[in-house]
Amino acid sequence: MESEDYLYDSDAEETTDNDHYYYSDKEEEKKMQNIAVGDGDDESRSNRKAKQSYVLLKESDIQQRQENEITEVSNVLFISKAAATVLLLHYNWRVCDVQDEWFAGEERIRKKVGLFEKPVFLLPKKLREVELTCSICYENFRVSMMGWVSCGHPFCRDCWEKYVSVAIEDGVGCLTLRCPEPRCNAVVDRDSIDLFAKKNDKERYSQYLIRSYIESNKKYKWCPGADCEYAIELCEGGGDECYDVCCHCNNGFCWNCMDDAHRPVDCETVAKWQLKNSSEAHNTAWMLINTKPCPKCGKPIEKNQGCMHMTCMKPCRHEFCWLCLGPWKEHGETSGGYYACNTFQRNKEEGMYNEAEDIRKRAKKHLEKYTHYYERWAGNESSRQQALKDLKQMQKNYMGRLSDIQWATEAELKFITEAWLQIIDCRRVLKWTYAYGYYLPEDGNKKAKSKRGFFEYLQGEAESNLERLHHCTEKDMHDYLNKKCSDKEFNNFRAKLSGLTTVTRNYFENLVKALENGLEDTSSQEACSTIRSRKPRKGERTKGKRRP
Amino acid sequence: MANSNLPRRIIKETQRLLSEPAPGISASPSEDNMRYFNVMILGPAQSPYEGGVFKLELFLPEEYPMAAPKVRFLTKIYHPNIDKLGRICLDILKDKWSPALQIRTVLLSIQALLSAPNPDDPLSENIAKHWKTNEAEAVETAKEWTRLYASGA
Ligand SMILES: [Zn+2]
Ligand SMILES: [Zn+2]
Ligand SMILES: [Zn+2]
Ligand SMILES: [Zn+2]
Ligand SMILES: [Zn+2]
Ligand SMILES: [Zn+2]
Ligand SMILES: [Zn+2]
Repeated sequence: MESEDYLYDSDAEETTDNDHYYYSDKEEEKKMQNIAVGDGDDESRSNRKAKQSYVLLKESDIQQRQENEITEVSNVLFISKAAATVLLLHYNWRVCDVQDEWFAGEERIRKKVGLFEKPVFLLPKKLREVELTCSICYENFRVSMMGWVSCGHPFCRDCWEKYVSVAIEDGVGCLTLRCPEPRCNAVVDRDSIDLFAKKNDKERYSQYLIRSYIESNKKYKWCPGADCEYAIELCEGGGDECYDVCCHCNNGFCWNCMDDAHRPVDCETVAKWQLKNSSEAHNTAWMLINTKPCPKCGKPIEKNQGCMHMTCMKPCRHEFCWLCLGPWKEHGETSGGYYACNTFQRNKEEGMYNEAEDIRKRAKKHLEKYTHYYERWAGNESSRQQALKDLKQMQKNYMGRLSDIQWATEAELKFITEAWLQIIDCRRVLKWTYAYGYYLPEDGNKKAKSKRGFFEYLQGEAESNLERLHHCTEKDMHDYLNKKCSDKEFNNFRAKLSGLTTVTRNYFENLVKALENGLEDTSSQEACSTIRSRKPRKGERTKGKRRP
Repeated sequence: MANSNLPRRIIKETQRLLSEPAPGISASPSEDNMRYFNVMILGPAQSPYEGGVFKLELFLPEEYPMAAPKVRFLTKIYHPNIDKLGRICLDILKDKWSPALQIRTVLLSIQALLSAPNPDDPLSENIAKHWKTNEAEAVETAKEWTRLYASGA
């Protein structure tokens, strides 16, 4: 095996012993255990090194937190949980505010949120068997068959059910629903909803309750992934800076702008780039450069060959010259040759075509640049999507087989999962470096030029390592799926793939760091230009560039 | 005809509207649709609408009383909370609606709105502006319109 090729001379603090890479030490093992998708902590690799101060919450986690806060308030204020919920809703789930305000003036708060201590509508005990008219449906009911909230205004159960249902149908306002009696401020709390509402209305009500909990607190956000029900809690600091989050649904997003995860590129660049991609302007520019209307029928004709001799589509079939738009039959030796239109040249010399042609050229250059970056940006994204699918497939279908054939435990095969996760993460980073590259000043002073050189060098190195890793994970893998090989051989494969994973990770960490520092690094730029010129030979260690 | 299965509540309300009409207000259901009411409100005394007879239409939607009735002026009126189409800006017809309110309370509220225009919550920006900048002149216009369009002729 040629595993030496992939050796990487890393920082002294990591290791100086090559063997360390291949036979994972405790530290490495611990990391690997955290990698498998689906367990508690599968954020992407490059974020691990950055801040990882967020927690993924599933619905039951949120409910638990909510319930804890409700219980706390209920215990401290000696009120029902339903009443505590009303207060927490009013104070956007800020437990401290609820307690402070309550002790500062219980009376005032009760009035404000509609929690009556005593009913305002009083029914003497002996009247309980008497009939009253429900003031919604105008039917008569025994009082014992009617329902009311803290104010005591009685309505029949049917009307309550409809009233609550309409409110829940209307939306989140149902959380602060009031008594149907005109001008009565009494709140319809959770206990009353439980008493009056239909089953599916109750479920929708608790959904609103959970939503209000997440949406009224700045440290929580819903994962923007389609059909994903996870919420994310940001543990420390705020969401002011660009910050990548990766959810269990494998959706990576930026906490700040809620777009796809985009480290190391900032939110502003992402917004600019996305706007550019969505704008029709480019289609127009493309049309402008590559099509002209047929002078006879007016249909836009695309120029897709080098030749100036254009033929319109059926049924028109008009033949014309791309440059002067004159009929092709007038072109020939007399007009300066078939492939050098004199009419055009003459007009150009007279200044008639200059301006238009200049715009065309500039637009074309700009478009070519954009296409270059866009294709690579989109290409890496689709490659990342494919890798996500491949990883799922691998875990579902191949891991067991591989474990049987190669006599390896699933834990011993984690290096494969780790390789895939590395690929997925790197594809994402690489994708965004193309948006970064698009906005990097192209020409200008020496500093700008050397920055671009440095960027392209780092990007190129990272990319070529990623390609090797992706190839090895995708293709070489299959050799081991079908035949049993010697332990030594399989160990070599493991060593190669783990080594490649580590090397690629380091290259990408360098790239990310360099871009986040605005490419403010001159010391290593000279170094890179020498390395660039020679390819590592077999058996030679690739000297990765590390930043001090 | 939409009169079969008319809820008991609507029947009772209608009976009461006819037997004990509120002063200055009359409301009678249309013959072929018991959910559609022809309404007349007399312009309240000491208001620019005094002496006028204002025609309105009131419709009880399927969801009534869980949803508010739909009411609209048919007679042209110069009022900051009523627009060209006769639509009325009144909280109980929108978010402050409660199923325990009635046709009667709605019509009484509209009558009260004629006595106390509220240019701070306008439906017709121009009329509200007129009301705020030159109330006396606006009131004159309202009186003029009452004479022109609501004289009961
Ligand atoms: Zn009822
Ligand atoms: Zn009440
Ligand atoms: Zn998610
Ligand atoms: Zn962002
Ligand atoms: Zn043609
Ligand atoms: Zn020509
Ligand atoms: Zn030509």
